[in-house]
Order: sequence, then structure tokens, then C-alpha cells
Amino acid sequence: MCSDFHRAESGTELLARLEGRSSLKEIEPHLFADEESPVHGDILEFHGAEGTGKTEMLYHLTARCILPKSEGGLEVEVVFIDTDYHFDMLRLVTVLEHRLSQSSEEAVRHCLGRLFLLYCGGSTQLLLTLCSLQTMLCSHPSVCLLILDSLSAFYWIDRANGGESVNLQESTLKKCAHLLEKLVNEYRLVLFATTQSIMQKASNPEEGPSCAFNRPSDVDVDYRPYLCKAWQQVVKRRILFSKQNDSKAGNQFSLVSRHLKSNNLKKHFFTIGESGVEFC
Amino acid sequence: MRSRYPLCALLRFSSHHNLVVELVSADLEEVAQKCGLSYKALVALRRVLLAQFSAFPFNGADLYEELKTTTAILSTGIGSLDKLLDAGLYTGEVTEIVGAPGSGKTQVCLCVAANVAHGLQQNVLYIDSNGGLTASRILQLLQARTLDEEEQAGALQRIQVVRAFDIFQMLGALQDLRGAVSQQVRSSSGTLKVVVVDSVAAVVAPLLGGQQREGLALMVQLARELKTLARDLSVAVLVTNHMTRDRDSGQLKPALGRSWSFVPSTRLLLDSTQGSGSLGSRRVACLTKSPRLPTGCQETVDLGSWGTPAFQGDHKGHWEQSPVFQGDHT
Repeated sequence: MCSDFHRAESGTELLARLEGRSSLKEIEPHLFADEESPVHGDILEFHGAEGTGKTEMLYHLTARCILPKSEGGLEVEVVFIDTDYHFDMLRLVTVLEHRLSQSSEEAVRHCLGRLFLLYCGGSTQLLLTLCSLQTMLCSHPSVCLLILDSLSAFYWIDRANGGESVNLQESTLKKCAHLLEKLVNEYRLVLFATTQSIMQKASNPEEGPSCAFNRPSDVDVDYRPYLCKAWQQVVKRRILFSKQNDSKAGNQFSLVSRHLKSNNLKKHFFTIGESGVEFC
Repeated sequence: MRSRYPLCALLRFSSHHNLVVELVSADLEEVAQKCGLSYKALVALRRVLLAQFSAFPFNGADLYEELKTTTAILSTGIGSLDKLLDAGLYTGEVTEIVGAPGSGKTQVCLCVAANVAHGLQQNVLYIDSNGGLTASRILQLLQARTLDEEEQAGALQRIQVVRAFDIFQMLGALQDLRGAVSQQVRSSSGTLKVVVVDSVAAVVAPLLGGQQREGLALMVQLARELKTLARDLSVAVLVTNHMTRDRDSGQLKPALGRSWSFVPSTRLLLDSTQGSGSLGSRRVACLTKSPRLPTGCQETVDLGSWGTPAFQGDHKGHWEQSPVFQGDHT
């Protein structure tokens, strides 16, 4: 149901919901090869420390979606929820200009017309925004991609506001996770959410919560789960980003993509240039 | 049976402190039954709450048009730094300068303030939590640029100084700024373009450490205030930060931890150990984070070449008594 009114969904609305959402199988062939391509209803988490290329990857995927079919894009609409005022429009425009064959202002503006940005100032506002997103998704049947950068922005604030009860601290995020799952399933979207790696390694629990996370490192990258269980459960695939530190490699980055149900692991390398992410 | 006092009915339903969240995410049919209220009324109420409190969807094209008109790039007044910053400080972004004590962070901040106030004729808000800002230092920088006393006075008037020695004073200063802007307090001398915070580590570092959650929450709150200020008011925010030693590797890294590392869009590292030692005036600036340029670029910066006073003695005595400079707000 795309409305909370007591009326049946009209025929056009049903069609919009089911057929209007084009397939995102070709969203990034390097990243999502064969059967593991994100299908409708997929939730993917990008996790990594600062400077590891998560936001650049989001720009890359956004550009791929909003570019017209003639330029190699998918010509679908994207909803980008920014929780920490991190979104850099000028950078996205630079990426678009490099990928368009004729980078005129008109062409860029046409692409950007397919992008919707929402800024959220707190976890409560995020929840309310997700609630009102249903109406928006109804009126824009070509939205296929939902991006949330980042989900962990309110972590410390929520923890401080929740007092001593962990349940209270996590309650809003739990609701957000459930709502995201509902939206993604109902409207057949793909969700990319970033979470920042803000916990130190287990040997120094000073910055992290008091219960020790003694989990061994996942394939060179340390992943410390700190968001609520509800979120951990809705994620279908987790992608861990890291930066290569060799001096000869220059600006090389790597990501490890793990499908949580099948435990399938894949490693990819990429560089970031003027035109955005380029896979090696 | 319909309750006479709908609000009381709703409050009985929710024991949670956040009624808005409860109403918006609850099953309205259930609420209607429990509180004896009309379903239609609840639906209407929910629609109003969502319209009021949820984020507004901006269209990318509209946002880009707006950014094109409001974004400005402000030169720092130091050519080598401008090269690393891709022409200068961008409005709408937070830029961080990090370095060991004595590496020249405050000097860079003062130079930026002097350049923006005098060269670009725009206003600067300088939040000092270090005690590094003195009238004479700014004056020396201005005297190196112009000998015209009127111009120097004009530039000094464009720099507003606020001292903040703990995080609450700093948050208060930022709130005051928003208040002044919202009341459209018009300044005859130009618009605010740069907010300098020297240093952010001085007020945040005492809050971190141990198991205190509140400290990290306050730091994140300050970070959000600075970022939203940069965006909403179209100003460039310049902050300074210390270095600490990494516990595992023993390497020097920017202070304030991982959660802060995501905050600035651009980070410049000032290093004084290379070159001619601590007595020399040369520093090496390295770009360690940037949204536009590849990281790792380095430039040599000569501290000694800025702000060398052209005349000593005469003007110094005259200006130190001048009341035009200090704009303290407490």
C-alpha cells in the first residue's frame, strides 16, 4: 500500500509499483557480477574508515543511475539521504561532466533532475523522513536506488540521549531499520547505506563500548559491529572498504564484498580519479 | 466512545517521551480504537506531523543552481597552500589544519583572517580557544600588506573575535552567530565568509577518554553545528587540531579520534620536523584528505615571509590602545 488512506490501490499505482522500477542488474558489473547482482529488495552496507572511498563509490553508482541511456547510464531516479552534510554536489557534477560525451550545462542539469536529496538532522528526523518517503516513492515510480549516507551519523548522540538503557538508545535506529526494509521490499528498491568505522581495535577499548568486541579481523579489514541488531539482520551484503598503504600503489583502494547469507567473499581493487571510481 | 480530550487520550496511549515518533510509526487503527478518536483525524494529524518534521526533498538540479551562486573560493593569502586547496577555502565546507605544537597552525589562521579581511574585504569570525590571537599579531600581518592606517583599521573591524575556552562557550558562540544572521544584522563592511576555530582540539580533547559517552556526543554535536553552519550560511569553516600518537603503531596522527576524522572535507598536515628544523620558518604542508585533489601532494610553506612588519615601534604603541579591535562576546 502506498498510502495510509483506506482506499484500494488504483490500477495505475499498482503498475507504477511493479513495472516502473527497472532492473538494477547492470548497476555495476564489476562489483555485482552474475547472480549476486543487487536485485530489488537488496540492502547493502558500505563500511570503512575515513578516506577509504565509500562516498566516492556512492557518487559512482549515483552517476551510473542518473546518466541517460545514451551515455551508458540507467536513466533511473535516485533518492539520496544525507545525514551529516557530507554530500558534495560539485564533486558529483565533476564526475558527471567526465562521463558525459558532451558536458553541457543542460545535460548535467538533466541528469541532476533525476536526483533527490534529503538532509536529516537527527535520528528522529530520519525516521519521520522515511515515513514520508512512501508518498514520494508513489509519485516517482522511476526511483530505483535509495542511498543513505550515513546510518551511523547519530550513533553517539543517540547513545547519550538514551540514558543507561541500551534499548532506548537503539530504539529509533531499530525503527528506521524496519522501515527501510519495508520500503525496500514494497517499492522494490536497492538500498546502499554507509556506516563509518568508528570503533578502535579490540586491544584498545577506550573509544568503544565497554563490552569487548573480540571478533578477529575480517580478511585484513577490521569490522566491529556497533549498530543495533535490527540493522545487522536486514543487511544482505556487507562491503568493507580499505585503502592500500603501499607507496607505489598510490591511490589504490580495495573492497571486500561479503554476501551475508551465503558467506561468499569477493575482493576488488579500484582507484579514484577525476572521473570517479575506476576498477582495476 | 469518543474522548472529550483527545490529547489526554493520546498521552495515555504513549508512555514514551517522543509522542511524534510513536504517532507516526504506530498502527493508527489501533490507536483510534484505544483512545476513542476518529481514524480520519489521526491520519490528518500524522500527515501534518510528517509535513512539519520530515526532511524536504530537494531536486538535484535546483540544488546545483543554488550552489553555483552561493559557493565561493577564498584565497588563504599563501600561494602554496592555495595550490593544495585547489585555489583556496571553499564555502560550505570544513577545512582542517593539523600539526604538532609550533608547526604554524595559528599563524596560518591569522594569515587567512588577515587576507580575507583586507584582501577580499569580507568578514571573519575568529573563535579563539588557545589564546593564540593577539591584536598585535594581526596588526603585523596587516601592516605587511598595507601602510595605509585607514585600510588597516577597516580590516581589523572586519575580524570579530570570540574567546571560548570550553565546548559550551564554543557552541554558544556558534548559536549567537546564527542568531545574529537570522535577525539579519547587517554589517556595513561586508558579509561573513570565514569562521576560524583555533583550536577545536583544545575544547574537545578534555571531553574524550574514559568511558564517557557524553563527551563523544558533544564532539559530534559541535561537528554537526560547524558543518550545518558552513552549508546554511555559505561560509568556509577553518579548524585546527593537534596530533597524538597512535597507541599501536606509535605514529603521529590527527587527534580527536575516528569519529572526528570524518568531519572535515579537507585536511592539511603541517610538518615542522622536515627542512631547517624548529628554528627555521619553513614548513611542509601535506594534503591528507581532499574531495577534489589526490592526497599526498606536498608544498613548502615559508612562515617567515608572512607578516613581517614593515615598521617597528611607531605604530605599535598607537594601535594597542585602540578600542576598535576587540569584539568580545560573552
